[in-house]
Amino acid sequence: MGEPINDVALAHFLLTGGLLFVLGMIGFLIRRNLIIMFLCTELMFQGVAVTLVAFSKFHLDVSGQTFVIFVLTIAAAEAALALGLVVLLFRSKHTLDAEAWGELNG
Amino acid sequence: MAVETLKFLPWIPLLGAVLCAICCTSPALRRLAGAICVLSVASALALALGVYFGPQSQAALSGTTVHALRWIDVHSFSAGFSYYIDGLTMIMLFVVTGIGALIALYATGYMKGDRGYARFFFGVCLFIFAMTTLVMADSLVLLYLGWEGVGLCSYLLIGYYYDKPFAVEAAKKAFIVNRIGDLGFALGIFLTWTTFDTVSLHEAIEKARHILEHGGEITTAMQCIPFLLMAGAFGKSAQFPLYVWLPDAMAGPTPVSALIHAATMVTSGVFMIARLIPIFELSTYALPVVAIIGTFTALLAATIALTNNDLKGVFAYSTVSQLGYMFLGVGVLSTTGGIFHLFTHAFFKALLFLTAGSVMHALAGQLDIRTMGGLRKRMPVTCWLMFAGCLALAGVPPFSGFVSKDMILHDALARGLHGEPLFFVLAIAGLFTALLTAYYTFRLWFRVFMGPERFEMGEEHGHDEHAAHDEHASGGHGPHEMPWWPMNLPLVVLAIGAIAAGILAEYVGGEHGWMHTMIEHSTASVEHEFHGELFGLSLHSVMVVLSLLIAALGIGTAAYLHWLRRDAAGVLEQKFAPLVKLLVNKYYVDELYDLAIVRPLRGCGKFFNLIDDYLIQGFLVQIVGGWGPRLVGYVLKPSQSGRLQSYGVGMAVGVVIVMVILIFKLTGN
Amino acid sequence: MPTQSFILPLLVLVPLIAGLVMLLPLPMFNDRRNIFHWALLATLATFALSLKMAFAFDFHGPTFQLRGLTPWVSQFGLQFGWGVDAISLWLILLTTFLMPIVVLSSLTAITERSREYYFWLLLIQAAMTGTFIATDIIFFYICFEFTLVPLYFLIGVFGSGDRLRAAAVFFIYTFTGSMLTFAAVLYVAYHAGWNFDIEAMYGAARSLSGTEQAWVFLALMAGFAVKVPIWPLHTWLPLAHTEAPTAGSVILAGVLLKLGTYGILRFVLPMCPLAVLEYAPCVGIMAVCGIILTALICWVQTDIKRLIAYSSVSHLGFCVLGLFALDRLDIGAHGAVMYMVNHGLSTGALFLCVGMIYERFHTRDMEEMSGLGRSLPVWSSFMVFFVLASVGLPGLNGFVGEFLTLLGAFCSPPEVLGMVYAAVAGLGLIFGAIYLLYMVGRVIFGPTKLPHVHGKLNDLSGREIVVLAPIALACLVLGLAPNLMLDTLDNSVAQLTGPAKSQLPAAVVQKEEGTEAPRHQGTEGLVADAIGGPWSLGASVPWCLCLDPPVPSSEVSR
Repeated sequence: MGEPINDVALAHFLLTGGLLFVLGMIGFLIRRNLIIMFLCTELMFQGVAVTLVAFSKFHLDVSGQTFVIFVLTIAAAEAALALGLVVLLFRSKHTLDAEAWGELNG
Repeated sequence: MAVETLKFLPWIPLLGAVLCAICCTSPALRRLAGAICVLSVASALALALGVYFGPQSQAALSGTTVHALRWIDVHSFSAGFSYYIDGLTMIMLFVVTGIGALIALYATGYMKGDRGYARFFFGVCLFIFAMTTLVMADSLVLLYLGWEGVGLCSYLLIGYYYDKPFAVEAAKKAFIVNRIGDLGFALGIFLTWTTFDTVSLHEAIEKARHILEHGGEITTAMQCIPFLLMAGAFGKSAQFPLYVWLPDAMAGPTPVSALIHAATMVTSGVFMIARLIPIFELSTYALPVVAIIGTFTALLAATIALTNNDLKGVFAYSTVSQLGYMFLGVGVLSTTGGIFHLFTHAFFKALLFLTAGSVMHALAGQLDIRTMGGLRKRMPVTCWLMFAGCLALAGVPPFSGFVSKDMILHDALARGLHGEPLFFVLAIAGLFTALLTAYYTFRLWFRVFMGPERFEMGEEHGHDEHAAHDEHASGGHGPHEMPWWPMNLPLVVLAIGAIAAGILAEYVGGEHGWMHTMIEHSTASVEHEFHGELFGLSLHSVMVVLSLLIAALGIGTAAYLHWLRRDAAGVLEQKFAPLVKLLVNKYYVDELYDLAIVRPLRGCGKFFNLIDDYLIQGFLVQIVGGWGPRLVGYVLKPSQSGRLQSYGVGMAVGVVIVMVILIFKLTGN
Repeated sequence: MPTQSFILPLLVLVPLIAGLVMLLPLPMFNDRRNIFHWALLATLATFALSLKMAFAFDFHGPTFQLRGLTPWVSQFGLQFGWGVDAISLWLILLTTFLMPIVVLSSLTAITERSREYYFWLLLIQAAMTGTFIATDIIFFYICFEFTLVPLYFLIGVFGSGDRLRAAAVFFIYTFTGSMLTFAAVLYVAYHAGWNFDIEAMYGAARSLSGTEQAWVFLALMAGFAVKVPIWPLHTWLPLAHTEAPTAGSVILAGVLLKLGTYGILRFVLPMCPLAVLEYAPCVGIMAVCGIILTALICWVQTDIKRLIAYSSVSHLGFCVLGLFALDRLDIGAHGAVMYMVNHGLSTGALFLCVGMIYERFHTRDMEEMSGLGRSLPVWSSFMVFFVLASVGLPGLNGFVGEFLTLLGAFCSPPEVLGMVYAAVAGLGLIFGAIYLLYMVGRVIFGPTKLPHVHGKLNDLSGREIVVLAPIALACLVLGLAPNLMLDTLDNSVAQLTGPAKSQLPAAVVQKEEGTEAPRHQGTEGLVADAIGGPWSLGASVPWCLCLDPPVPSSEVSR
């Protein structure tokens, strides 16, 4: 696996990951377009993935990277499914506004 | 025949019952049922006679146990089909199968053409099975089987005309009132088991005898046993306060009334107490209580019979009354007297019921004696057969009813004269009851058979086919005599019994008479001899004279009021109208029970039903269990707004809170 | 006989697989009659298998026989263990005996969605049999809970009237109770080192302190008491019974209610002896209340099915009374086992009879009918017969159980139950006669009055007679020869009631004296002879000498 990265490099990576995550979260909370919201969740996802890889490199433990690969696979499958659902939702209401589906509450 | 063969005896009628049940299924077989029943009961009788006259009769009379089958065994608790044979058993077997066969024979004529012919004989066969089991049982649990079995047959046969609401009610009443007594009996069995460690009748009796003879601690439990068993006896034998079912039980066909509700089943309470007399002796108070209740019931029922206008009703109340005598008998430790009266009563009461049945049959179900009169010309045989029965019931010497009743009253009086004033009072009450008995018996007979001829046909359509057939035979309307075969002939046999059985059993066979010898070696034997003197005469002679006087007085009054001067009876009735009303309404006991027991219980049922529906199911389950969670949901519902963003905020806030907690924990602040 | 041990899992697998096969898209299952025949065949085959099991069972041998084991999730020590003793043997026979009858009775009643219907029937049979053969508490619990699902659908889909509510109440009520049971199971299993085997559980539970046992007792009873049901937890039963289809009622009354009493006998009595002694009077009072109150309630019902449903509550009160009698000779427990089987037969048959009436008249209201004896003589004869069996007429099966349970309660030591309980419960004999004869007098006797008849009114068909006759025969045989069953129960029953009885003051005093005197003596010797086995291990530890002692740390592994 080569050399571990040092503290400073780790801090940068973590900062990047955290930034991605927060950006994604803000996007998710303030946008109402379903596709944008979905993209934002992906962004949060990748933020976590960056953190995982960073720590993996820092600790020289492959399980972090393995996990990222695993998560990416899941995310791909999930993206396909979710976009399909969004298309279906769009078809039935001709809008991508998340508020339009508020009636699905419990 | 060996004693062992007796173990097959109850199963013969059961086989008959099975065959009758098969006959029920096909109309072609239906008419065979009567013959099957008579044959099976008669062969049971033959078996009993065979053993009695066989080489081992001594064994049969002195008490042997015969094991047939196992039944309920749990470790040392063992109740099997084991039979105890002694003199008492043999007497009861003769009564049950002998009278049973005669009545069954009569019934083949009486029930002919009825659509439930096979069902009727199925019931009779099953009854004989249960009754023979009852009298032969060694295990108390087996006795209980017979006990409930006869109750069932009584239920089925009272409710024989099941589309009459009255019959259905009567059947239900009989079963349920009996069940009340049976609960006492069952608890008595339980207590016997815990006290004596056995449910075998002869072992328990031996243990009780041992305690009585050799002295030993008599525990409270032992003193309670007789009172519990007594409840069963009072239920089955229709004693106060459980007598109310028997008069209603007359809703069944008359042969059933004769067999079950007069001759055999209702006497099983007396039999049970006689059988278990040592256990009853354990308690000082048990037997006096039996005697008091017996006498009270005898008197009570006799007074009700005075004004009853129902042909079978009078006999029903007289049965209750005579059973009271039997209880007085066993209560004063005169088991011989009690069983003797049971024996003779079976003859004359069966005779009376069957002749009453003939009258009813001839009048198409008419039972009201006010509508009858002077039937002696149309039904001479029935008239004089019933006369013989009435003489026996009224206790006219030397008819059989006199001999046995005399023995009971004599023993009671003797004990009364020996410094037990209670029994003196009971004996006097018994004599007074005898007066009433003579009066009401002959009141009925004079009303029905003497005076000017009159009758009104009843409304019974049950015997359509038969009625048509008879009409054809006699060629006209109106009441007619019954045919000799198969109806009057058995009655003649019964009449002979009613006339002579008492004398024969008292003075023939053995030193003290057949009856005494039979009882002496049975579990019912008691070692007390009662003798006494009154006015310088032996008590026996006094009793004969007294009985004659009483009977003459009773019969004379009845003849005057109900034959010679019927208008006088009417005047008398006017004069004592409130009393008559009270008697006609049977002291309002049924109404009282309804008001005091039935209605409150049913009210309880309704109340608890409401509790179930509204408190438990309604409040606890529906409201607390159903609405509680719903309320929680109602409170939390707004948080599910359906806006994705608010969910996101929720998640974010959650994450922040978790992170803050973690940071504080990790940094130790 | 290890070679025969495959029989027991087959008893579960045959109906299970037969049910699953029915779901396959095979063309033969498009015909309603084929489905019916398939289900009948499966149940009959299971019945034949259960007979083989009865013959393979050695009644003089050890209590648990035909044992076997198969791992399930071996990482967590989970496994399926099976075996039968005499008690479960008879209950399995009852189940497998009733199922073909239930299937046969459904031929005309169920005309739509029959594939689904028979599937659920077979599934519930598998689950019920599984409960009885389990020697592993997880296996038991899975099957115990799984019986709910098929019955939920049987009531909810095939029921009448207010069926959805009935199904929901039934499900939630019993499920809530058994959740608590599961908590107790987990607690005990934790102390047993996560070993779910029944004997390990016994040992672990008995070494708990008195307070812990009390909690375990209450939690276990929560599930079982609802199932029995013990008054006042019974209100789901009349509702479920009334709305269930005939088959559902028969299964419910015939077997499912016995899961409760079986659970009490198999788990509660041997697992928490201290608590059993402490709470027996309470349970006894509840049982007696149930007997009396529900009998009175029966009397004012007008719906026949509801009446019989309430009578079940009343009757099972006797059974519970017998279970908690703990008398010297185990008369009460013998009676209770007898009662389970008897009640299954006679009440099941009564529900079948009522179902036949419902098929003809589409009503069960007693006000609307009367005097059926004239129009339906064969049906009436059967009905009267089963009513008499239910009333407890000696010579028929009901009597034996009723008599023995009452006698047991009567002989029970005064600390447990005692005479008063028996005497008061005995009133149930009278009330039982009252309400059942009231029903007979109302429905069968009296002047003929028929509700609107759909089509021609026929008496029982040949098929319906075949449905009822075997039960009648069984009632008669068990009534006249109850020893067939009673003789076999001695060892199994003694093993289950022994632990609690050894805690009785009398037994404890005797044991203390017994340190000098020879142990097998008098009354206690009898029990000890019969038991011998595993429980004596638990009984010999010193904590059993007083009711709520501190637990010696050496005895219990924490």
